[in-house]
Amino acid sequence: MTHPLSAVARPLAQRCVRYVLIGVSGANLYGPAGQAVFTTEDFDLFLPLDPDNLVQAWAACEDAGLDLWSGSELLDKPRDRWLAERVVQRRAVTRVAGPDDLLVDLTLVMKGFDFETVWNAHREFVFDDVPVPTARLLHIVESKQAAGRDKDKLFLATHYDALRQLLEKPDPE
Amino acid sequence: MDKDFERVLRGLDEAREFAKTYRFEMTDEYRALIARVEALPRNRSGAHRNERWLGSRAGRRALRARTTRRAPAL
Repeated sequence: MTHPLSAVARPLAQRCVRYVLIGVSGANLYGPAGQAVFTTEDFDLFLPLDPDNLVQAWAACEDAGLDLWSGSELLDKPRDRWLAERVVQRRAVTRVAGPDDLLVDLTLVMKGFDFETVWNAHREFVFDDVPVPTARLLHIVESKQAAGRDKDKLFLATHYDALRQLLEKPDPE
Repeated sequence: MDKDFERVLRGLDEAREFAKTYRFEMTDEYRALIARVEALPRNRSGAHRNERWLGSRAGRRALRARTTRRAPAL
């Protein structure tokens, strides 16, 4: 059974791309087996401010036949270091789109954190034998607090209760 | 307008209003709760996540694609 994220995680791993899964989709991984605590439509991958790493991330997505978008336009070609330097400079998001409405954001910003702090505390969850570096739940929650957008507030308003309910249920493992 | 659709729109408006005024504060209790969740056996580094996944639209569609039996072509 293939998890939708595997389509991206496998080629990223093959090219040794450094990234960490963050956001609601990352928080959901700490939830009950097979269920989302919160609904989200995309996966957020946090990358370091490293143009070479970003070039490899783009190449990995191309390897997998995924489309790369910058805003409402396809990402320019050639997708080389020159372009990556400008994207890093602007902290711009690259959106990855694939089959079954897969949406992945390659983001260079995690509000309140630098990449190394998150990376040093990350853990790996394994999807279809592919390790997916995932941020600590604490870091995800603190970042949402720092971001303070309406959708972050709605997440925070209900997350505490969701965790309490989770702990009240016996862990099947 | 469909009643279900109206209800959804009303719910979204209420959520938006709530978010405008809501102030979140991180507490020691919340931090402790997060630490407990992170420490669960299924959340240890290296844990597999191969179970059914309903967490996103992409996940739901992927699941549906795997589980929906298509009518054979005539």
